[in-house]
Amino acid sequence: MTSGTRAGPARVPSVEDMTAISVTHLHKAYRRRRRTTVAVDDVSLTVDEGEIVGLLGRNGAGKSTTVETVAGLRTPDRGEVRVLGLDPRADRARVRGVLGVQLQEPRLHDALTVRELVRLHRSFHRAGRDPDELIDAVGLTDARDTRVEKLSGGQQQRTSVAAALVGDPRVVILDELTSGLDPEARHGMLSMVQGIRAAGVTVLLVSHHMDEVERLCDRAVVLDAGRVVASGSPAGLVAEAGLPRDGRLEDAYLVLTGAATGATSRGQRRHPSAAAHAPEATR
Amino acid sequence: MTTGTTTTTDMPAPARPPARAWGAMVAAEARMVARDTGGLVVPLGMPVLILVMNGVAFDTGQVVPGTGGATAFSLYVLPLTLTLVVATVGVINMPSFLAAYRRTGILRRLGVTPASPAMVLVAQALVGVVQIALGIAVACVVAALAFDATAPASPWLAVGVLALTVAAMYGVGMLVAAVAPTPQSAVALGLVAFFAIAAVGGMFGPRENLPDVLAQVGGYLPFGAAVDGLGAAWAGVAVPASSWLGLSLATVVPGALAAWLFRWE
Repeated sequence: MTSGTRAGPARVPSVEDMTAISVTHLHKAYRRRRRTTVAVDDVSLTVDEGEIVGLLGRNGAGKSTTVETVAGLRTPDRGEVRVLGLDPRADRARVRGVLGVQLQEPRLHDALTVRELVRLHRSFHRAGRDPDELIDAVGLTDARDTRVEKLSGGQQQRTSVAAALVGDPRVVILDELTSGLDPEARHGMLSMVQGIRAAGVTVLLVSHHMDEVERLCDRAVVLDAGRVVASGSPAGLVAEAGLPRDGRLEDAYLVLTGAATGATSRGQRRHPSAAAHAPEATR
Repeated sequence: MTTGTTTTTDMPAPARPPARAWGAMVAAEARMVARDTGGLVVPLGMPVLILVMNGVAFDTGQVVPGTGGATAFSLYVLPLTLTLVVATVGVINMPSFLAAYRRTGILRRLGVTPASPAMVLVAQALVGVVQIALGIAVACVVAALAFDATAPASPWLAVGVLALTVAAMYGVGMLVAAVAPTPQSAVALGLVAFFAIAAVGGMFGPRENLPDVLAQVGGYLPFGAAVDGLGAAWAGVAVPASSWLGLSLATVVPGALAAWLFRWE
């Protein structure tokens, strides 16, 4: 098991360890019409192979920017991102083969049926899972011959998950996996994530649902205003927030982000005890 | 949690999409084009409608002297119709598809798979070529059966001009796709580009009826250049230099601009 703080930006990535994802001092800002918005500010985190790590934070906290940078869709302004020791931008061809990504917005070929779309994504990979089995696993058996444009938002989300998993990836990014799903579908998706973890797949899970983070994740990283304010196991975060042992992660999250006290600025929001974790959200 | 160390043998291999991915992408594009009723019918139906209307409304059956027996229909109406087929697919259809892909983030989504977004461009271009071939076949069959149109006197020359016309119209279409921010604006820009080159290219009547300057410019723009070039191939005479030059420039200049301006997102 890895322990302690990872090296700084000069660290040479290596596959001689068990880190599946490493984000080191990531900084990303967006510039539009002379206005600069810092989305991610000095974020560091690691996800070990086989682990499920949750990425928490309110809207605009920097979660999607972080995972999109890990996916190679964005270039860091500063800092370093590695997936299985590889740079997602420079080593795109290698990373794409082992990384499955479900983006926050489904973004699918909506004139194709579910089966056609998942088969199309399967064709991109030399090896992978059976599309029909995967469609069954995400609960779209009855909708397999329905065009994506005619699916509900939750069904489109499940189609997107099937497309992300059909290449049998070693590392998966799930960005708001269960948003828009009914309780039954949500339960099915969470069970499926547990199933892929049992197969040794690494998962970085972006979520607003504290109950699913408690249920699925080995660790969680809390982002607020683009910075890491806390990280640790769900139980560890509860303890760090000063709550009783049987306290809920949701309450801990509210304390750690300052939302429970109504604090709004970055400095106000940050819980004092989180200082030991930020900016390095590693163990 | 797993334990132990990862060795260098775990280094992922480069994930190039297998050959079947290209076939799957082309098939997917073909399905989507086929399911877009308007996008399928207009390039096939509108040119044939114009062909029939021209054949019925005007006396185009007389043989043009010095062309080996070709009629005015074969020399003017059929080249115009074939050019229309290529232009509707290249300048109107393709840009709207690509702009829609960009708008909906599909190209971005493909960017996190082993499939390159460039595969979409290639697949879309191939499906467009098939659509063009189908449109040309339908137009030629109708022309031959209903209006006794003849085959081109120089068939290979006709094929060459058609190929260059496809490249030129795709060049213009890619430029439209590159600068249009939304699918709606791509359709609007595509229509403007289409009618601009078609109007001075002879779509609404002989170019000789236009003011001299417009008629001359129209001969260098891709629509007029294609109509002139195909007409020459049907007559078995040399293709005018303005056709070769106009079609080549329309391929290279907008194509290069599109490559410079095109955004995946």
